Amino acid sequence: LSLQVMLVGDSGVGKTCLLVRFKDGAFLAGSFISTVGIDFRRPHLLTSSSLLLFQMWDTAGQERFRSVTHAYYRDAHALLLLYDVTNKSSFDNIQAWLTEIHEYAQQDVVLMLLGNKADATHERVVKREDGEKLAKEFGVPFMETSAKSGLNVELAFMAIAKELKHRSMKTPNEPKFRLHEYVNKEMKSSGCCKS
Amino acid sequence: MAADVHNSKVNWDIQNESLAPIDKLRIERSDSPTPGIVEGTEPGAAQEKAMFVHTQSFEDLTAETRDTVDGDQEVESCDLTKLSNDLSQLSTHLLGQEEEQGEAEEKGEDQKVEMFDESLASVTSQDSSPCGREDICDITSDAWRNQRKHVFVLSEAGKPIYSRYGTEEALSSTMGVMMALVSFVEADKNMIKSIHGDGYKVVFLRKSPLVLVSVARTRQSEQELSRELCYIYYQIVSLLTITQLNQIFERKQNYDLRRLLAGSEHLNDNLLKQLDRDPGFLLSAVTCVPLAVSTRDIITSSLQAAKAKNLVFSILLAGNQLVSLVRKKDQYLHPMDLHLLLNLVGSSSSFREGEGWTPICLPKFNPSGFFHAHISYLDSSSDLCLILISTSREDFFCLSDCKHRFLERLWRRNAFQNLLEALQTPTYPVDLVGIPELRHFVYKSKSSGLYTSPELPPTYLVDEEQERLMGLYQYLHGRIHNSRNPLRYIYHCGQRENLLAWVTSGFEMYLCFSPLGTKVLAMNTVTKLLKWIRKEEDRLFILSPQTY
Repeated sequence: LSLQVMLVGDSGVGKTCLLVRFKDGAFLAGSFISTVGIDFRRPHLLTSSSLLLFQMWDTAGQERFRSVTHAYYRDAHALLLLYDVTNKSSFDNIQAWLTEIHEYAQQDVVLMLLGNKADATHERVVKREDGEKLAKEFGVPFMETSAKSGLNVELAFMAIAKELKHRSMKTPNEPKFRLHEYVNKEMKSSGCCKS
Repeated sequence: MAADVHNSKVNWDIQNESLAPIDKLRIERSDSPTPGIVEGTEPGAAQEKAMFVHTQSFEDLTAETRDTVDGDQEVESCDLTKLSNDLSQLSTHLLGQEEEQGEAEEKGEDQKVEMFDESLASVTSQDSSPCGREDICDITSDAWRNQRKHVFVLSEAGKPIYSRYGTEEALSSTMGVMMALVSFVEADKNMIKSIHGDGYKVVFLRKSPLVLVSVARTRQSEQELSRELCYIYYQIVSLLTITQLNQIFERKQNYDLRRLLAGSEHLNDNLLKQLDRDPGFLLSAVTCVPLAVSTRDIITSSLQAAKAKNLVFSILLAGNQLVSLVRKKDQYLHPMDLHLLLNLVGSSSSFREGEGWTPICLPKFNPSGFFHAHISYLDSSSDLCLILISTSREDFFCLSDCKHRFLERLWRRNAFQNLLEALQTPTYPVDLVGIPELRHFVYKSKSSGLYTSPELPPTYLVDEEQERLMGLYQYLHGRIHNSRNPLRYIYHCGQRENLLAWVTSGFEMYLCFSPLGTKVLAMNTVTKLLKWIRKEEDRLFILSPQTY
């Protein structure tokens, strides 16, 4: 089973870092490497029941690459939309991103909103509640992640994988509801473990 | 010490004549090439068609000089009376300075006159020089001011787009002044080209809708500096295309271009660093990994076989050296475009892990359209990077498949291992040539657009020394290609090394000798070196470039 997942969001919100954390379990510290165009990777994940083959489209956030990104939206089964909790404008742009997604992506694409860099408590400018509120408004599941600490990173990808797997196996009955439920359940438990 | 190169010119011509057999075809690829060989038969020349657009390293600028020659004369005639006082004062000052530099001796006909002309032309714009200088002083620290070379890019509205050092915000007023200078001179239907001050040059390059400015304390000529600015300009065009660039500023004159260029600053930074270090940028040429012909042939044919409908170029690189290049029939790559690709790959680590897919404009090929490049490393531990360039935005999976077909073929024919082994020694020591006094050289075959150069000897391994040697090559290159007074050869005696630069219709070479080397030795070395390169040419160059 091959899952095509695309990471989108403003430049510098940590899309590549999130992917590297998920793939290699490491954090890309040091200088900021900006992705050029689209970066295509094929990580795989071995779960208790099966081997998941991902095809990850790590996109560049810069405006000048939008046209390439648009061309590959429709191939994606799932989209991870990221903003940076320490950067207000990346949060404000989420609405624009959602408009773009509705325009170019498939109707039934699995979408998840992630507030990244949740470890940076001091620099935080976007409250968790704001993220939750926005997600509710648009009916998308939401969680805060941190590529640095690893918080919720695997969960985000797993949730998507589960959802896509579920869909491919049966006729979908209220898929969104299930994803929300799963995310909320898992996030609480992982929250307990972390604290 | 008078190094009168012109005496030896006679020598060569005679030798050349006596060596040329009646049947000219015979010596076309002679084993003992002489400097008199014609283009296309020099060591390193491709046997069939070359893979690059044929270029002179100065094409952009000579074109420009021609454009502006009339303008210059106009200035000289109309402004001379007004500025005559300052002019004579300044030009004598400049002349004096040039003479002081003469630890080296070069002779070219009319050199002095030439210099005088240049200073005249540049000083015509001098009425604005004091303010430009002071403003830079005012803004920041000494450390910033003392940088060897500053490069600024601004829009016609005077908005900062790029600065090599320091933040653009802090420099917005400086850039405003730069724009004021440009438009002040343009108001009189004229063009500001450079300002020459005490130990530094300010060079302007006007490429509407952008203005590029270089402030340098190097010995590079005005021409060389504006060539570097050209590179920066093309770098920006390669990200946006000229069409988009024009549209943006037509729509909104005071647009902040940094928004669109976000994340690309390191491309300019790296490009400027390369320009200071890499002789390829100077010569409009690229260098190849030394590789056995059989191995290179397998690689090339594997690239050839992995073709696709929209594929235009397949390029395999090892670091900033070329391994192989296959192109669509009748489509040629310009060395400058390849340099931009090298720069893109060299300055982004993001291609290391996955497969990159990015739009890129190759400005020399077509400044108004995007190609789409599939960029990936063959394996994560080596520097082998494959670039596949297609005309279609939708081609990602198709090119990804090409890459796999290419790799499979390499493995099947055992070429991959051979290639990796060859990469263990990507350079060669200069000792192989067998001339003890020869420290380093750069040889470019003009018809193939390829150059070869040994590794730097220990003396030049430190960054500063490397840049100093490159500075000398740059200086000689600037002198020999001076558009108003081109020379054929220069012998340059310095305190720490002697250099010989030689340009013919077939090749261009720069040799660096120990300070104990003599001119006679240098002259003899040329023949010996040409002979050596001929012997090694199938390893050092790509002699039979292929198309799909």
